[in-house]
Amino acid sequence: MKEFQWKKSRLFAFALLTLIVLAACSSDEESGASGEGDPEEDPDTITAWAWDPNFNIAALEIAEESYDEDIDFEIIENAQDDIVSKLNTGLSSGTMKGMPNIVLIEDQRAQSFLQSYPDAFFPIDDYINPDDFAAYKLAPTSLDDKQYGLPFDTGVTGLFFRTDYLEEAGYSMEDLTDITWEEYIEIGRDVNETTGKDMISLDPNDLGILRVMIQSAGEWYVDEDGTTVNIEGNEPLRKAFENYKAMMEADFVKANSDWSQFISAFNSGDVATVPSGNWIGASIEAEESQAGDWAVAPIPRLDMEGAVNASNQGGSSFYVLNIPGKEKAAEFLGKTFGENEEFYQELVNDVGALGTYTPASDGEAYQAGNDFFGGQSLISDFSTWVEDIPSVNYGMHTYSIEDILAAEMQNYLKGKSLDDALADAQAQAEAQLK
Amino acid sequence: MRKLKRIGVYIFLSIASLVSIFPFLWMIVSMTNKSVDVTQGRLLPGSYLFENLTVLFDSVNMVTALVNSTIIALITTFLTLLIGSLAGYGFEIYRTPGKDRIFNILLLSMMIPFAAIMIPLYRMFGGVSGTIPFLGIDTLAAAILPTVITAFFIFFFRQNTKMFAKELVEAGRIDGLSELGIFFRVYLPTMKTTYAAAAIIAFMNSWNNYLWPLVVLQSPENQTIPLLISNLGAGYSPDYGVIMTAIVIATLPTALVFFIMQRHFVEGMMGSMKG
Repeated sequence: MKEFQWKKSRLFAFALLTLIVLAACSSDEESGASGEGDPEEDPDTITAWAWDPNFNIAALEIAEESYDEDIDFEIIENAQDDIVSKLNTGLSSGTMKGMPNIVLIEDQRAQSFLQSYPDAFFPIDDYINPDDFAAYKLAPTSLDDKQYGLPFDTGVTGLFFRTDYLEEAGYSMEDLTDITWEEYIEIGRDVNETTGKDMISLDPNDLGILRVMIQSAGEWYVDEDGTTVNIEGNEPLRKAFENYKAMMEADFVKANSDWSQFISAFNSGDVATVPSGNWIGASIEAEESQAGDWAVAPIPRLDMEGAVNASNQGGSSFYVLNIPGKEKAAEFLGKTFGENEEFYQELVNDVGALGTYTPASDGEAYQAGNDFFGGQSLISDFSTWVEDIPSVNYGMHTYSIEDILAAEMQNYLKGKSLDDALADAQAQAEAQLK
Repeated sequence: MRKLKRIGVYIFLSIASLVSIFPFLWMIVSMTNKSVDVTQGRLLPGSYLFENLTVLFDSVNMVTALVNSTIIALITTFLTLLIGSLAGYGFEIYRTPGKDRIFNILLLSMMIPFAAIMIPLYRMFGGVSGTIPFLGIDTLAAAILPTVITAFFIFFFRQNTKMFAKELVEAGRIDGLSELGIFFRVYLPTMKTTYAAAAIIAFMNSWNNYLWPLVVLQSPENQTIPLLISNLGAGYSPDYGVIMTAIVIATLPTALVFFIMQRHFVEGMMGSMKG
C-alpha cells in the first residue's frame, strides 16, 4: 500500500515537472513570436526614479510638460536610500531588468556608482553642453572625461538665521555676512547668553557640517584623484575639527538624533541658526508662525587663505542608464534641464528648486523677493553664491570615511589629541579602502 | 506583606505595559496632529485627522498598496503553511536514512542573511523576466516565491509534530487513508493551534517585509504598504502627520489577524516550546 502511494506521488511530481517545463517553453515561443511587447526592444515608456514629490519629482513633472515631443513618461517615487539599494542590487546582479531609464543620484554618492558599474550608465555629452552648468557640479558627475550626470539642483549652503534672536543679541545681517566659523562661534556665545536659545542643532553621527566647512576651502576627505585618503595633514579638516569641538564646548548645540528632531529644533524656535543646504528652506517655511523672522546670510568660511563664504551640501544630478531607450531619455533631459531657460524660471516659481544651469540665473523669477524671509531675494543670493563654490572631487568613499571620522571625532571630544585622532583616522581609512 | 508584594508587582506591570503601549498611543495621537506638532512631540490629540487622511489618499495610492500587501501576505501565508507543515510532518513521521543530517543542513540555511542571497535571486528573476508570464522582476509572484520556503517554519512544524500522536497515523493507514489523506484529514485538523500560530507569524513577516519587495517591485501599481510608507518619508520636508496616519492604517490588518487568532497563537507557541 505504502509502495503504491510512493509510486503515485512520484508520478504526480513527474507530471508537475513536465507541466512547468512545457509552460515555460510555450510562453517563450509566444513572446518570441509577438516581439513587440518585448521590453528589450522598444520601450514605449521612459521611467525615472526620484525621491521628493515636492522637489525633484515636481521638477521632472514640469520638465515633462515643457517638453515638446510626445513621450510616455513615468516618474516613480522612491526614498533616496531605497534608490541606492535598488540600484546596487539591480546593477550588481548584472541584469538590467527593472532598472529605470533616468535616475536621480546625490552628487556625493555618484562616483561610487559610476566607478563600480562602468558600463551601466550612458554618457550624455552629445545632448548637453557641460560648460553651461556650475563648475563644481561637473567633477562628481563625470568620469574619464565623459559627462554622465545632468547637473540638477545645487546644494549651495546658506546660514539661515532667526533675525529676532540675533537682533536681541545685538547682531544684524551685516554682522553675519562673510564671517569665519570662529566669529560664528563668538556670536553663538552671545546669542546663547542673551536669549538662552541654542545656536545650532547637530546630529553627532552626521558630520555634514564638517563637509560644508572643508569644501569652502576646496578640500575633501580624499585628494583630487578621488581615491588617495587625505585626512592627516589636511589643514581645512583640522580647522573644521577644532571648530566642531569649540561649538560643542561653547554649549550652544542642541543635539538631534534624526531628521525629524533636526526639523523640530528650528520649527519649535529652539535654535537661532541653521547652516545648511538651500533645500532646508522649505522645512523652515513650514512653520508659518515664524514668517518674517528668518533671513539667510552667506555660510561662514574657515579662517585660512583660499577659503570662501560658499559651500555645498547635498545636491543631486540625473543619470541615464545604458539600457534601451537611453537616447530618448538623454534627449528628454537635454531639451529640458539642458537648455530650456524658461523651464528654469518655472522651476523657481513653482517648486522653489534652484538648478545649476548658469544661463538661467538672469531670469526674472530669480530676482523675486521671498516674504517669509523678510522680502530677501533668496534665489538671487543663492545663485550668486553658487558661482563661488569651490570644486572638489568627492571620490567614492565619502560616507565610509565619514563613519571613521565620526568615531575619531568622539575620541577627540573626549580629550584625544587632534594629531592622534587624524592620524588614526587616516590609517583606518587607508586600511579599509585598500 | 504579601499584599505589599502584590502591589509592587502591579506597579511594575503597569509601568511595563505603559512603556510597551506608549509608541502605539503616540502613533494614534500623532495621526490627528499636523507635521510640525508631531516633530515637537505633542501628546494631545489634535484636529488634523481628516486633513491627514485626505492628503494621504490624495497623494499616494494607499488602496492599491493595501490590496497588493493583502494579496502577497495571504498567498505567502497559505503557501508557507502548506509547504512548511508538509515538510515538518515528513521529517518527523517518516523514516528516511540521513534525514537528521539533511534537517541540520536545512537549519544551517537559517544562518545565511537574506542580503547575501538577494543579488543572485534578483539575477534569477531577471533571467525569467519576459520569458515566463507573471514571473520575473516587478511581479507579485517574485515578491512571494522566495519567502514561502523557510527553514524556520519547517523547524516550527517539526517541533510541534513531536506532540502529535503517531498512533493516529497508524490508525489512518489501517482505515485505508492515503498518506496525503492522513495529512489533510487527520494531522491538519488536530494541529489547528500550530497552524494558527504559524499563520500569524507568516502573515506578519510578509506584511512587514521590506527589503526584498523593495528591490524586486518597481512600478507603483505593485507597491506594498512598507514601501509606500518609506516613500512618504522620502522628501526633504516629510509630513509626519500623514506618515503616522499611514502607519496606523498599515498596522490595523496585523493587529486584526493577531486579535482573531490570539488564543490559538499562545497555545501554538506553548506547544512549540514543550516539544
